[in-house]
Amino acid sequence: MAYDRTPALSRVDGRVPAGQAVALVGPNGGGKSTLIKAVLGLVPVVAGAVTVAGRRPAAARALVGYVPQAADLDPEFPVTARQVVLMGRYRLIGRLRRPGRRDRAAADEALALVGLADRANTRFGALSGGQRQRVLLARALSAQPPILVLDEPFNGVDAVSQEALIDALARAKAAGTAVLVSTHDLAVAQRLCEQTCLVNRRQFAFTRTESALTSELLCACYGGQVLELDAGRLVVTPG
Amino acid sequence: MDTTLLLEPFRVPYLTRALIELTILGVLCGTVGAFVALRRLEFVADALTHTVFPGVAIGFALQGADGVFEGALIAAGITACVLTLLTRNRRTSDDAALAIVLTAMFSIGVIVVSRSHSYAADLQTFLFGQILYTSRTQIVETAVVAVLCLAVLAALGRELFLRSFDVEAARAAGHRVGALDLALNLVIALTVVAAVRTIGTALVLALLVVPAAIGRTLGGRLGTIVTIGVGSAVLCGYFGLIISYTASIDHDVALPTGPTVVLTLVAAYLLALVAAGLVRRRGLRASAHAPAAGMPAPSGLPRPTGSPR
Repeated sequence: MAYDRTPALSRVDGRVPAGQAVALVGPNGGGKSTLIKAVLGLVPVVAGAVTVAGRRPAAARALVGYVPQAADLDPEFPVTARQVVLMGRYRLIGRLRRPGRRDRAAADEALALVGLADRANTRFGALSGGQRQRVLLARALSAQPPILVLDEPFNGVDAVSQEALIDALARAKAAGTAVLVSTHDLAVAQRLCEQTCLVNRRQFAFTRTESALTSELLCACYGGQVLELDAGRLVVTPG
Repeated sequence: MDTTLLLEPFRVPYLTRALIELTILGVLCGTVGAFVALRRLEFVADALTHTVFPGVAIGFALQGADGVFEGALIAAGITACVLTLLTRNRRTSDDAALAIVLTAMFSIGVIVVSRSHSYAADLQTFLFGQILYTSRTQIVETAVVAVLCLAVLAALGRELFLRSFDVEAARAAGHRVGALDLALNLVIALTVVAAVRTIGTALVLALLVVPAAIGRTLGGRLGTIVTIGVGSAVLCGYFGLIISYTASIDHDVALPTGPTVVLTLVAAYLLALVAAGLVRRRGLRASAHAPAAGMPAPSGLPRPTGSPR
């Protein structure tokens, strides 16, 4: 995978099975976002292949629900939580039809799944950071995609929202959804993800989470001394 | 103000035509302006108004008044495409690229106009428009452009909304962001073309930006913003027309119509700011009594210091 012909990430190999979650762990700038963009078909793959449900990523977009970081979005944007969730169904609705009863029902159901049924008419920017992140997950869930891809959804999220996100993702997994989630939170990775992929410019591990999150592998991947605290937070000191 | 005055535009034919033209432009600019505000494309819209100027000037130089519309149309089409490409290039600072295109095109326009004998008069016409000289043909052309632009927005509105809010998600969902950007830039360009003879290249921007700003100040949803934007653009067009007419005819004060319409819009915007401020104060006072039910104040707006009286 490359931006402007400089490979951002190389030698990654693994698969995300249906009904399971894979955590993408590694330092910032190490290629987590690039890998996610490759799965979404937004960056070129220079060598090897990324396939999504057996197809080219660009041909499989209808199967993938993408959850970006809420912090990247404009909080002043004039949109309610329900309108954001309905965006997840735009492709199903089509250009010339208006959202129908089924679309609204799907949106409300998705909001209920993340525990925000009562905030449907609240302006997106008036929600807390964690609630915004849950709305974005609801948007992806509203189209009931077989694959979910999340870019650091637990960053700066309060405990209530973190639990709500984990709960909703666990349910999606139980329903057979494949989940790829990048995170810095090792505790969440341990709770939610069967497998973990450690990346920093290249792959350091792609295996069962308990085997991947060892201090030796983390140390190698982060290029320094790694301290893992009780809460699962990661502290890296250059060593 | 005498109430019969409010009906004056319906009795004087040239005022009637001006009012019809301003109403169509109000509906068009109020709607397009909402999307300009969503994408924060005010500077792109400004660049378009400047780049249409040489088209107007060249059209006029070649074919007189009849060439203005065609010239503007061609210039707008070209610059909409160029601006779409420029703003896609992430390595150039968008603003610098736009400023270069904007000033270069504007200079070409001024040079073309300066070759004409009636330099000052022509320049003023192109910059500030001639609402009171609106012809039937002009109304028809404006209406056609308006219908076309509104149809595009009706078809692509939802996708443009998503693209404005979350461009990565739009790309990830397979929406063609480049095509959407080009479509919106073309719609803005066409709107500028439609408005340019009436209100001039220098003042079109006000019609695109101020009504939407009023809408954003008073409304929290796209539908409300469009409704308030269109309403304020149409009403301010009407009142601006009447004020400039009354001042000129009854009080012998020459008030050019275009700038009067713009100032009426700005006055409405200031009123909207005051109204929104009052509503927020009341909301804060109410939430001070019932803190649990209080909603967080919109960020980006200054909170009053100290406790509410």
